[in-house]
Amino acid sequence: MSTAINIESLFKTYPDGTQALKGVNLSVEKGGFFALLGPNGAGKSTLIKLVTTLYKKDEGHLMIDGSDPDIDFKRVQRAIGVASQDNELDPGETVMALLRFQGRLFGLSKTEANKRAEELIDLFDLQPVSDKRTADLSGGNKRRLHCALALVHKPSILFLDEPTVGMDPLARSLFWEVITRLNREEGVTVFLTTQYLEEADKHASDMALIVDGSIHFAGTITGFKQLVHPQDASSLEESYLTYIKTLSPVC
Amino acid sequence: MQHVTVLLVNRGIIKLLKQPSAPLGGFAMSLFFLVVYNAGIGGVGFLDAFGDGGYLSFVFPIALISLAMGSSAGAGQALHADMQSGYFQRLYLSPAPRWSLVVAPMLADTLSSLVFGALLLAIGALFGVVFQFGWLSVLGIMVLCLLWSVTLCGFSAGVMLRTGQPQSAAIVTNAVFPLLFLSTTFLPRELMTAKWLLAISWGNPVTYVLEGCRYLLAGTSQPIFLLIALGVLSLTALSSVIFALNSASKIRR
Repeated sequence: MSTAINIESLFKTYPDGTQALKGVNLSVEKGGFFALLGPNGAGKSTLIKLVTTLYKKDEGHLMIDGSDPDIDFKRVQRAIGVASQDNELDPGETVMALLRFQGRLFGLSKTEANKRAEELIDLFDLQPVSDKRTADLSGGNKRRLHCALALVHKPSILFLDEPTVGMDPLARSLFWEVITRLNREEGVTVFLTTQYLEEADKHASDMALIVDGSIHFAGTITGFKQLVHPQDASSLEESYLTYIKTLSPVC
Repeated sequence: MQHVTVLLVNRGIIKLLKQPSAPLGGFAMSLFFLVVYNAGIGGVGFLDAFGDGGYLSFVFPIALISLAMGSSAGAGQALHADMQSGYFQRLYLSPAPRWSLVVAPMLADTLSSLVFGALLLAIGALFGVVFQFGWLSVLGIMVLCLLWSVTLCGFSAGVMLRTGQPQSAAIVTNAVFPLLFLSTTFLPRELMTAKWLLAISWGNPVTYVLEGCRYLLAGTSQPIFLLIALGVLSLTALSSVIFALNSASKIRR
């Protein structure tokens, strides 16, 4: 299987001297469902922002869908879809208008953009709020709209940064149904960060654990569980907590 | 212009139409200045120095200059609104050239300045402002307005991108505002008595814009001032666009 994301010796230090990434190496297979896990401040957001071209790297190599973002930025932008944990909605626009405009930004004609907006509204069950301004949406609907916006141009890699925060259980279940279908049926590579480890356990097959800017583990979720608890079958959350506690006994 | 840049300019114009406070404020301020200055000082218009156009034609350029000063807030405000809402990040993740994210609101703002500038010229013509070269005068004044507007929009957008403050336009306006009064704003050079003010007015770029406009209106100035105004404003417009683009490139940490 070929690689969707390949990261080698990636370093990033912020202007205030904080070393956010200390030589990260990571590889995500095309069509895979990958979870990046780690405590707060471990470097997850920095890594996502670098991979999605929002930040500049200090050192290292980065290939996204076969392209270097520093060389072929436009190709990378078309290959990736990003549903960030930050609010990225124009509060004055309606759900439908925002989706249409996103389609137009990615080169769709008016008709195509309308059609795609309607498809995504159906897919994410946003019909009841399609004419509402985004400022008036609930937290859960905003998260779903973020994801719909990320998918407008049918990217091959989807970045989901804490995607289900604020969603009720039913909305979460429907959301994961859509995402897993995209992953399995359309071969979209999913790169997920989440603090809901049961979601990563249920949907992802591969993972990496980042702590203090370094990758501590990269491999399958099953492999991680076996590494931490070789004798018992444990959940990802149990294994994760056990591992993190060994690093920092105070926790 | 690329398709995506046109889309972003259209979006900027629609935003201005939905929230027209900046251009309308600039327009109202310009009309206010025009009416008040003409009412207060217009009595001196019979002097030879004001030519056939009288005081209204003489003071009219200040209305054009203050128009752009008022409405240039739009570019900075539009960028600030997108950054505050986080939407700028989504635009940043689109294939739109990154320069266009900054240039589009500037263009939208400049277009709005030109529309209101044309409206102001029409009002001026109705009330007797003289255009000595007819439509050529109108065209020349519109070019000066364009360059002045780009200058202010660019600095306003650049300051906003660097400081993250919505008051970016006010910072630019506050920096430019004193220049209006250190120039031949109210009286021609030959009637100014303070030597220090005369000396400063020579070094003040606003003087050349005012005098350039006056040459095109009632012909109370020299053509060389128009050429200097075009040169100075081209330089400041270019500098401000470079400043804005350079400020945009610093967003990616």
